[in-house]
Amino acid sequence: MNFLDGLLILSLLSVIVTGFAQKLRSAGWLSSVLLGLQCLLLMGMAGLAYGSPAVSSSFSVSVLGQPLHWQFNALSWFFALITLASALASSVYAAGAWGEDYRLQGGNPGLLQFALNLNVFAMLLLLASGDLLSLFVGWELVSWASLLMMVLAGGAAGRFGLRYIVYATAGAMAVMTGLVMIFQLTGSFQFADFAAIAPSLSNAQVVTFTLLFVFGFGVKMGLLPFHLWQADAYAETPGPGAAFLGAISSRMGLFAMLILVIQLIGLGRLINIEVPYSFFSLRDVLMWVAAFTIIFPTFTAMRQNDARLLLAWHGIGQGGYMLMGLLMVNPLGSAGGLMHVFNYASYQAVLFLVVTAVIYRTRTADLNQLGGLVTRMPLSFLMMLICIIGLAGIPPMNGFVSKWLIYRSLIVEGMPLLFVASVVGTLGTILSVYKLIHNTFLGQLRLEHEQIREVPWSMMIPMLILSAVVFITGFLPGIVLDWVASAQAALGIPVLEHTLGGVESPSGNLDMIWICSVLFGGFAVGALVFYSGNKSRRVHQLDNYAGGHFLTADDRYHYSNNFYAGLMHHIGHWYRGTFQWLESSLGSAISLLSAATQMLFNSFHPALFLLLAATLSLLFFAG
Amino acid sequence: MNSIVLNIALPLLVAFLLPLIHASSRIAARITGPLVLMVMMWSAVIVFKALEYPVSIALGGFLPPVGVSFHLDQLALLMATIIPLLMLLLWPYQYEQNLREQTVLLLLAAASSGLALSGDLFNIYVFYELISVASFGLAAANRQASSFAAAFRYLLISGLGTVLALTGIALIYTQTGTLNLAQLGLLSSRLDNPLGLSAFALILLGIGVKAEIFPLNGWVAEVYSTASTRTSALLAGLVSKLAVLAIVRILVVAYDDSEAGLMLLVFGVLGIIWGEFSAWRAQDLKRMFAYSSIGQLGMILLAFSIPGEAGMFAGIAMMLHHLVVKPALFLLTEKWNHGTDSLRGAARLSPLAAALFVLFALSLIGVPPLPGFWAKMLLMSGLVGMDTSVYYIALAVLMIATVVEAQYLIRIAVTLYSASDRSSELRLASNTGVMSLFAVVLLSALLTLTPLGSKLYHIAAESSNRALYIRTTFNVNPTPVLEHKNATQEASL
Repeated sequence: MNFLDGLLILSLLSVIVTGFAQKLRSAGWLSSVLLGLQCLLLMGMAGLAYGSPAVSSSFSVSVLGQPLHWQFNALSWFFALITLASALASSVYAAGAWGEDYRLQGGNPGLLQFALNLNVFAMLLLLASGDLLSLFVGWELVSWASLLMMVLAGGAAGRFGLRYIVYATAGAMAVMTGLVMIFQLTGSFQFADFAAIAPSLSNAQVVTFTLLFVFGFGVKMGLLPFHLWQADAYAETPGPGAAFLGAISSRMGLFAMLILVIQLIGLGRLINIEVPYSFFSLRDVLMWVAAFTIIFPTFTAMRQNDARLLLAWHGIGQGGYMLMGLLMVNPLGSAGGLMHVFNYASYQAVLFLVVTAVIYRTRTADLNQLGGLVTRMPLSFLMMLICIIGLAGIPPMNGFVSKWLIYRSLIVEGMPLLFVASVVGTLGTILSVYKLIHNTFLGQLRLEHEQIREVPWSMMIPMLILSAVVFITGFLPGIVLDWVASAQAALGIPVLEHTLGGVESPSGNLDMIWICSVLFGGFAVGALVFYSGNKSRRVHQLDNYAGGHFLTADDRYHYSNNFYAGLMHHIGHWYRGTFQWLESSLGSAISLLSAATQMLFNSFHPALFLLLAATLSLLFFAG
Repeated sequence: MNSIVLNIALPLLVAFLLPLIHASSRIAARITGPLVLMVMMWSAVIVFKALEYPVSIALGGFLPPVGVSFHLDQLALLMATIIPLLMLLLWPYQYEQNLREQTVLLLLAAASSGLALSGDLFNIYVFYELISVASFGLAAANRQASSFAAAFRYLLISGLGTVLALTGIALIYTQTGTLNLAQLGLLSSRLDNPLGLSAFALILLGIGVKAEIFPLNGWVAEVYSTASTRTSALLAGLVSKLAVLAIVRILVVAYDDSEAGLMLLVFGVLGIIWGEFSAWRAQDLKRMFAYSSIGQLGMILLAFSIPGEAGMFAGIAMMLHHLVVKPALFLLTEKWNHGTDSLRGAARLSPLAAALFVLFALSLIGVPPLPGFWAKMLLMSGLVGMDTSVYYIALAVLMIATVVEAQYLIRIAVTLYSASDRSSELRLASNTGVMSLFAVVLLSALLTLTPLGSKLYHIAAESSNRALYIRTTFNVNPTPVLEHKNATQEASL
């Protein structure tokens, strides 16, 4: 029995235990302890991230003559680390004061913890998959487990969950078709057998497989144009659950895509396939899909007036960066893509948790109903600030490093248009995260929020730790780049040369220790100037003047509604809701078709059909 | 081996004696039916265990192709075991005034066993008719105006179907001069012409009425939503499968590698589209399951249209899965409100019933690692294995249908688990005891997937082996030389 066996068994046990302990008052802490133990077991396998060989589980099953087995390599370990860390943070957050409050609101925190553990188990199973069949089993478990998490809140959440499962089932069918095609070609579900025949596949086969897998797994990632389900479904999930799903759940699609498209089929094949009547290769098409996945959802996020929706729409866009990075041959790009998975998870989890903290205190996530909370919840403000800097990809946070790697590789590989596209996406990110922090924490405090205090420590600690991660891995990106390089090696793609402070390779250099030192040196100078100047006088937040007049708290001068009016004046007419329209027309078409089928059943006597069918088939055979 | 005849004779006899038994002793009448079914099951299991290779039984000592012959292979015996088992589960134990229903059920048991075991077209037809009669009785058994109307319409279309089937059988007889399946296998070259294929088409459509084949399934939704749940479960679960099986037997033995399989594919695909899309809009739970069962039958038909072992394997797996899950769903939702919207929040007070619903629904959709997934994977793998455009189109339809299926089934599940906005709490009346049994069957199938899979594969390999079928009956190999020999045999008929 090795660490992997222990991890999987413990994870399964946690599902069972939390399933039975739902009614227990301490269910949340129990679940946190179990997740913490899983983290420890994962740490036992930390050698994987520093070059140890892959670990195989000692158990395997065989179904219909096909063996299913499980194993962990550096890539699985990297994703599992993110999964377990974000699950642990969410679990601790939900175990204390938030869970108590959730119970009072009519929710069942025990069920939430159960759903969390179920998701973790499903994800670990997927990450540990050692063949195509176990990959699909894990994939489906992940899909259905996240449905459970999404519909917990009831009401509209049920509708959004249903919408999700329609997309997910369509994706699963595509994946399954791809898998049985592979099975028909190789006679087995082993990765190695597929990898062996992959070079001899015809171009048409490569295109078929790529499209099936990119569609199937891309649905989960929210790849354009299959992204519509994600934002609503995640936003309606109870806070800590949303933090967990937002941080890692969609990345499972990326993981599976990495294995099938990049590791097994190989980028080389994709680059060599030209799309007819164009100068694009298949790889370029996918990169442009990734680019549009960055741009459209990010600019949709900018228009949201609900903090949770704003974050959830961002989650879709950030997935585009990861895919774009990983589609590049250059080690900088793939490292950037992989590192972005880690970085994004760290700050997205905190952002969702901070928004949940704001909801916990104010009962609203409506960006037009908040403002000025910075003095009431200063730590939450600080953490949101750290994380939006990360999300926007600005130094000194970790988001900068991964985005820099991706930009750099786009330039090195000579893709200026894609570079512009991703910069446009980042612009949208900066604008919308500014809207988020401004409307929530800055500006005028509402009278009804005057008595608000900072959230309790049980909620604060997970956020603090994760924000520390955001900062530390920005200051010393080499910590994560070690793991990323091992994951690259496990995938069989070129490995990034890196140092503790960043990158030192022929295609570019980056030293975050140096950058941060300069930056904080600058801040120190500024602070010195500020504090050595005239003594400032603190006034109460509601003590305001404008044009010589006293402004009471009833005067609303906090500018939040229609936030980027000037910008919208120029780009507003480009928001046409085309994807929404496409989705709803597809729905209407199905509805129409099913009305037609029912009508045929109801309006004619079946005997007529019988005669008709008999005549037709006689004609068919006799004619 | 010959004791298997008991499976037909005993219930048939008891069915007619039951009123007399009832007149003398009520208690005896109550236990007779289940007792007979148990004997049937026991005898089928005994023969199943003793069976090493397929056996043909010539009744009354008349050797085939003249006499009445039974073909005993693993598939036939599997069905012969399942028939009494399912009937025992669906037996009307708790009702007092159910003598007629019990009689009809025993009749159905006899006819079903006969259909499963028959080795010639004539007997298939006779037993099929007997099943029809029994199922009319069952459809009208709850004696309401609506169920009488539904049963009457069912009778009408079923009767028409019978006429078509009989015409088909007559056509085959004129072409070959025999109705013995094995003999037809030897003479199959005579059927590979427009007339022979037309005969198959007519039989397919005729028997297809029971198999819920599109477009002959107009009766399905009506009968299932008016008849008692046990009847719906029996018709959807058992009778439809037996009809499919009869068609498949004819297809495999007499219409090997001809266009006939393609016809199955076309009807299967249309059935999937029609059933699943109709179910998508259905607001009534029973109707939804009725439509969904049409779609499932389409998938089974699609599976059997794939020639060779792969298709047979997929078909049998899908069939057995549907045979467990569909009756289970019908029974589980027996006393639920039919309107799907009124189930809101019911999971809170009836957690077990709701959980069972989710389990069955997930298996029906084909979510791994539940058994339904493996069956669906076999089907998809078979379709891809054909590597023909027609089969790829069928695959695409199957994929879309699965998405639609997931939508409407999960819609119910989400409704069950969503928060109730009414003050009155809804408790689902359901017989969770029996239902848990079905769930146990499903889950134990999951645990024993490997041995079960290899067993089913053997069954499929055996029953898709046309040469073996013919050899079992005549102890000869189907070669052109022998065909000549049999032509002379036919002359002596």
